[in-house]
Amino acid sequence: MVLSEVDKFLHELEKAELEAPGGVASPQTYAQLLAVYLYQNDLCNAKYLWKRIPADLKSGSAELGQIWMVGQRMWQRDWPAVHVALNAEWSEDVSDIMAALKDNVRERAIILISKAYSSLGLTVFASMTGLTLEEARRVAVERGWTVDGTMVQPCKIQKEESNLANEVCLTEDQLFKLTQFVSFLEN
Amino acid sequence: MASALEQFVNNVRTLSKQGNFRELSEIITKSTDVLIKNGQHLDNVLETLNLQEHSLGILAVLCVKFSLPNPNGANNVDAYKPLFNQVQEFIIGCNGEQVRFASDIYAELCHLFTQTLVELQIPLRGIELLCRAIRKIQLFDSQLTSIHADLCQLCLLSKCFKPALEFLDIDITGISQEEGQFDSKYFLLYYYYGGMIYTALKNYDRALYFFEVCVTTPALAVSYIMLEAYKKYILVSLILHGKVLNLPRYTSQVVNRYMKPLGQQYQELATAYQMNSCEEVQNIITKYQQLFTRDHNMGLVKQVLSYLYKKNIQRLTKTFLTLSLSDVASRVQLSGPADAEKYILNMIEDGEIFATINQKDGMVVFHDDPEKYNSPQMLAKLEKEMAACMELDKRVLEMEEEVVLTPQYVRKACGQNDQDDQTPGPAPTNVTNVQGQSKHSTYSM
Repeated sequence: MVLSEVDKFLHELEKAELEAPGGVASPQTYAQLLAVYLYQNDLCNAKYLWKRIPADLKSGSAELGQIWMVGQRMWQRDWPAVHVALNAEWSEDVSDIMAALKDNVRERAIILISKAYSSLGLTVFASMTGLTLEEARRVAVERGWTVDGTMVQPCKIQKEESNLANEVCLTEDQLFKLTQFVSFLEN
Repeated sequence: MASALEQFVNNVRTLSKQGNFRELSEIITKSTDVLIKNGQHLDNVLETLNLQEHSLGILAVLCVKFSLPNPNGANNVDAYKPLFNQVQEFIIGCNGEQVRFASDIYAELCHLFTQTLVELQIPLRGIELLCRAIRKIQLFDSQLTSIHADLCQLCLLSKCFKPALEFLDIDITGISQEEGQFDSKYFLLYYYYGGMIYTALKNYDRALYFFEVCVTTPALAVSYIMLEAYKKYILVSLILHGKVLNLPRYTSQVVNRYMKPLGQQYQELATAYQMNSCEEVQNIITKYQQLFTRDHNMGLVKQVLSYLYKKNIQRLTKTFLTLSLSDVASRVQLSGPADAEKYILNMIEDGEIFATINQKDGMVVFHDDPEKYNSPQMLAKLEKEMAACMELDKRVLEMEEEVVLTPQYVRKACGQNDQDDQTPGPAPTNVTNVQGQSKHSTYSM
């Protein structure tokens, strides 16, 4: 899913909730909204959405509870449990978002590990990324990390410079800005 | 009786036709009694009026309808449905130019609408409409109306914050006069509720600013809103900065004189926090548990404690280069190495410390902040901040110019000169002088 599309989708869902007749949206809307918030790692809004979903809808739809279970684990930052919670069967409404969320969470975990660890156990690595030991070993090797028996030694991921094409402005522009700054500071 | 009502309708029709809205808004302010007495005929009145042409008349009628006992009987949601629909139709369809002549009544209608929704416990349903209501009456985006506070209240009650952020994220530069009826209560409430919304979304920086505005509002007496804001100010300040920031010097005297003693338990918490001892803080929390719960601040108080653990870990990074996880745990009074590892991992993800954990030998290596301030992103950030500062400076100059041009200011400035110079009638020269000065300062920026 493209990022801008997600934003648009999210906007539509939020609008649908606010304009819902009788003030209660369909369980489908709630489920999708909750999943999108999680996908964007917007846990605060996800939490409050869960709090405002009417109780009878929560008990009526098991899937809502399952999605929130993922959110709860993400809130607690219990990485292994997030993956366990994510490994469920999702209905058509949310399966795309949940699949995207799964990749997203795994990528975040890998980046975090590369930042935070100079060495860690393969089992820990596997459970944090929700992979089997074999898969974990393969992923680590793919990224050029050293796997030494049961220990993994991650390398720092060099942050790729985000495409700056739109931020880098012309020299003349720069000069203009600089002039503005200096004239502002001098006065 | 009916004749008085007929007269009201006639007034609305003729004055609207003549475009004499100023006079009409005065008349409708005085017609409340007539409308209340004729409560049962109000729907007929509405039928004779046109939404676009007679917006002011309809506004007055709708306002009165809220204060009447509901004809459909009990206070249930369905009984209010017709009225809600009328309000919705009105706010969407009314003539913005016209209702600006009675922006106080317009705001009143929104307050009544909000109040009813709150009483019926269906706050979510009003959010969308109030957003539209604000947009309709605002003259510019950064203008505060008293309806802002209503919107924030509905958002808080329904736990749906995003719609309010659209307004909260814009810094206020002007306040709608609302015919002199803008109650300071709504100003304080806006900043108090706004602070709460930002706190809920963990945007503590902005939350602190909102509470600060609320607490530093010039005042001669203590408002409960300010007191509650002050309590939350202390807690958020602890979370964000690890200490209670001093309030700016322009804070009203009442704050120091009365509010500090009233928020004494919170001060004690802050003192305990300063000692960096989780135990002390925990003791204070247990001691005042009831009070914190009664103030609905327990959740924030608990966060203060968990931030103290983080702060203590941060302090370790200043002393040590490497440390074993079990040492971290014992120094910060965590239950064990696993707990310490979890805290550190979370802090690394949030960019609160820079460290690497080595699971092989159970050590943590602390690093310096890798930011070298030489990247294009940093430059872009600097440019953004500079632009914001320059914009602010421009605004301040504009406002100053506005003040300098008011008759009161000119009179005061001249009055003083009168005494100093003993020259009669210096007013004209002074006026040009003042203008000249302000112009000069505008150029010089």
